[in-house]
Amino acid sequence: MRSLTRFIFITLFGLLAFGCAFATESPRAIITAAILAKDQAHKLELIGSLVGESDEAIKPLLMAWKEDGLFVCKASDDAPPLPVILTGDKDANDAQAALRVDNGQPLLDAVGKPVRLVAGDLTSVEHDAELRHAMKNVLDLLDLATPDIIKRIQAIQAVGFSQDVEKIPALEKRLSLEKNSAARKSLLEALAVTRLKASDAEKLSAFNELKDLHSLSSYDLIRTAMREEEKAGKPELAEAGLHALKAIDLHKTKINVFGTLFRGLSLGSILLIVAIGLAITFGLMGVINMAHGEMIAVGAYTTYLVENIFGTGITIPFFGFSLPIPGIHATGWFYQTYFLVALPLSFLAAALVGIALERSIIRFLYRRPLESLLATWGVSLLLQQALKLMFGSNNVQVSSPIYLSGNWTIDDITFGWNRIFVIGFAGLIVFGVWLILTKTPLGLLIRSVMQNRNMASCMGVRTERVNMLTFGLGSGLAGLAGAFISQIGNVGPSLGQNYIVDCFMTVVVGGVGNLAGTIYSALGIGLVDQSLQQILLNPVLGKILVLVAIILFLQWKPSGLFVTRSRNLDD
Amino acid sequence: MLKVNQLMTAGALALGALVSSVHAEDTVKVGVLHSLSGTMAISETSLRDVLLFTFDEINAKGGVLGKKIEPVVVDGASNWPLFAEKAKQLLEQDKVSVTFGCWTSVSRKSVLPVYEKNNGLLFYPVQYEGQEESQNVFYTAEAVNQQATPAIDYLLKQGYTKFYLIGTDYVYPQTTNLVLLEYLLSKGVALENIGGGFKKDDSGKIISAGKYTPFGHTDYQQIVAEIKQFAAGGKTAVVSTLNGDTNVPFFKEYAAAGLTAETAPVVSFSISEDEFRGLPAKQLVGQLGCWTYFQSIKSPANKEFVKNFKAWLKTTNVPGIVKEGRVTCSPMVLSYDGVYLWKAAVEKAGSFDVDKVRAALKSGLSFDGPGGKVTSQPNMHMTKNVFIGETTAKGQFKILEEFKDVYGEPWLLGKFKSK
Repeated sequence: MRSLTRFIFITLFGLLAFGCAFATESPRAIITAAILAKDQAHKLELIGSLVGESDEAIKPLLMAWKEDGLFVCKASDDAPPLPVILTGDKDANDAQAALRVDNGQPLLDAVGKPVRLVAGDLTSVEHDAELRHAMKNVLDLLDLATPDIIKRIQAIQAVGFSQDVEKIPALEKRLSLEKNSAARKSLLEALAVTRLKASDAEKLSAFNELKDLHSLSSYDLIRTAMREEEKAGKPELAEAGLHALKAIDLHKTKINVFGTLFRGLSLGSILLIVAIGLAITFGLMGVINMAHGEMIAVGAYTTYLVENIFGTGITIPFFGFSLPIPGIHATGWFYQTYFLVALPLSFLAAALVGIALERSIIRFLYRRPLESLLATWGVSLLLQQALKLMFGSNNVQVSSPIYLSGNWTIDDITFGWNRIFVIGFAGLIVFGVWLILTKTPLGLLIRSVMQNRNMASCMGVRTERVNMLTFGLGSGLAGLAGAFISQIGNVGPSLGQNYIVDCFMTVVVGGVGNLAGTIYSALGIGLVDQSLQQILLNPVLGKILVLVAIILFLQWKPSGLFVTRSRNLDD
Repeated sequence: MLKVNQLMTAGALALGALVSSVHAEDTVKVGVLHSLSGTMAISETSLRDVLLFTFDEINAKGGVLGKKIEPVVVDGASNWPLFAEKAKQLLEQDKVSVTFGCWTSVSRKSVLPVYEKNNGLLFYPVQYEGQEESQNVFYTAEAVNQQATPAIDYLLKQGYTKFYLIGTDYVYPQTTNLVLLEYLLSKGVALENIGGGFKKDDSGKIISAGKYTPFGHTDYQQIVAEIKQFAAGGKTAVVSTLNGDTNVPFFKEYAAAGLTAETAPVVSFSISEDEFRGLPAKQLVGQLGCWTYFQSIKSPANKEFVKNFKAWLKTTNVPGIVKEGRVTCSPMVLSYDGVYLWKAAVEKAGSFDVDKVRAALKSGLSFDGPGGKVTSQPNMHMTKNVFIGETTAKGQFKILEEFKDVYGEPWLLGKFKSK
């Protein structure tokens, strides 16, 4: 009896000691060990042991590791390496306070003073896909409660996909605490889809629940589950699954319809902003301006220049000279505003190039449209080569500011911010052009000169000056388009060539000389193009059909949607 | 005084002519056939550069069989019929012993009859679709099983279950994706988990798999929306054979839709270090690439190669060579390897005769290149190492996985049988 008590005592003591020994391995210590471990398998094992831990320190440390924010430093040459994390504001030397990973205390030097380190001087702790995957597992469960809503939903979905019945309690607990509606929906989906692996009664209710949820992410899993039920000979379950799939298919159709409308609107807006400048120079002035595309490129390169000036500066080789432009090394939000600064500058740059072009070449060719075609085509080649000489023949990189690279998702329909921006931007441009043309003295002069150059001249209008300003306005608008295009596509010397055909197409379909026609034709072409792409699921065929449709349309209405009528004998 | 000067100059010129004519007897003519103008110039001039570097390197060490290499550089100008004309000029007028050249499959196909008729020898260095095995072409290029299928192996190992195929509409992506379709099916991936759509012929046989966009396509909204719906249902990877600058609008749209390397990574077969010079690398961080060489390989041979190439760029006076911001990439290294394999074959054969050189190549010669050991095969392809890497913000790759000594296999269509 006594020996038994003793045995139990020893066992308990042993367990306790073991438990203590395990408890002393705090998450911080485990992460430190994982960083210092030489062997990949050992690293993975250590990180894996963190799964289920709820220590607050884990998340920032693993996140910092993933994002190259952890560093290994040595107090002295022969001291053991010590992982640290850099936090707090940078001082004048770019140095930050260093906290030890193993205990969260500041790193002290020999005399006990906190050390400040510069991130650039240290090598960050390495990581690769396998390690990040292991970290992801740890973070997933932590992430069910992460404050960032997008990451939280991702984490919830990941748990749902695993269909691990054991995770139901964790999900239910989280659901009782969750307040965000999108996250609640994800939790409900994850729960339902996990319950597809539970008992038959639960399966049935899970199928019905997923049907009501229109759960896109569960589609494949429902299909798999449905087939399993079919094989297992449970028709009522299989049918419930089929109903769920049908409901989701319907939901998909709805998403596609609204998504297509939105995409068509955004494509139409892009066509509109690239073509509206041409609607003025070609439509109103009658200059067949083949260099319009290069005005777009000038705007795009101006944006590129402004971005670099906000960053680290740039050196432009300029016909043998090299012209260094210093950068202002902006960071954070100030850097992000570069695009807003670039917009007016792009307009100005392209307008100036346009005015120079008008003064030097086009003003001699107003009565000879075919010569203006050849001359402006030559100018377009010249401008392309000039851009090549200045910026190289490779494409250049323009990074998008934060406010143009996210999206809103409403009922599973994605609304990209850059697309919303372009729709609003197109609206503003149209409004601005309308204001200028109809509400300003300049607009009055422009309209009079465009209607009848000779008569306007007789009435004392300085037609030369009005021509110059009108051409500048049209070119400036192309520059604005270029600034936006740098955010969605390539910036290269031949950028303009990709858009010039679209521009002429839009203006001609709309009816030459009619701004409203350009608006309708841009939006129309955009919507038809996107709808055909969606229906045919083939971008090439869609584009071809749009072109064929335009050819047929122009056979039927050679002057485009809106015909500008005049009593002029020339027309 | 002036006359004396003129006389001396004339004398020097005559002497120079004499020296160069003596010199000419000790040289062997080698053709370089790349586009130095036109759309492909951006990629192909890098190969011209690395070839000239390799010739200088070999010449500095005594040349081939005691003869200095004399490059004959011609410009295919991204014009496929012109490639055939230039090839004819190289073989019939200049009588080159070997040619290094071509990038696009269509340029290779158009010079092929010229090489076969004249029994010339062409070294072709860029990843291609296979289904070809000419006795007059040595393919240092990656065959599909040296790039695409290893990438799929890697993704399957990482637990990806759904694959979306997308590419530019021409022969390389179309053929590669058909092979990949068969490969995925043979690995037990269900047809419904392969996205991008299929085209079938009347008998129901799939003749095209994946989504295709033309060169220079700019609007990827609908495709990205489709990928997003496809990726909602499980661990998805996108397999991209999109070419050149269409990658910019694609990746910008991809990021704007909220898709990232962590939610649905893209593995691209046409983006190497050289292409990153014109791509926003920051938006591609974490996306995957697969090649038989990365500049980031940490071997002494590679460090030496990169160092020597950069040193050569500084000293060279060949007009039109960009000297700043240069990188090395797989097609460049495969060109470099090709020159050395040809040298080894010539030395083994003891002759520049094409038939003898071909026989030597077929016997299996090895060269320790920057990407590791490469060995020529009897089927005119090359055994080499394959690397999977992820993109870093600096436009380089961090190596994640290495497949050793992969045998180049051109005939893959119909090889993988689905279970």
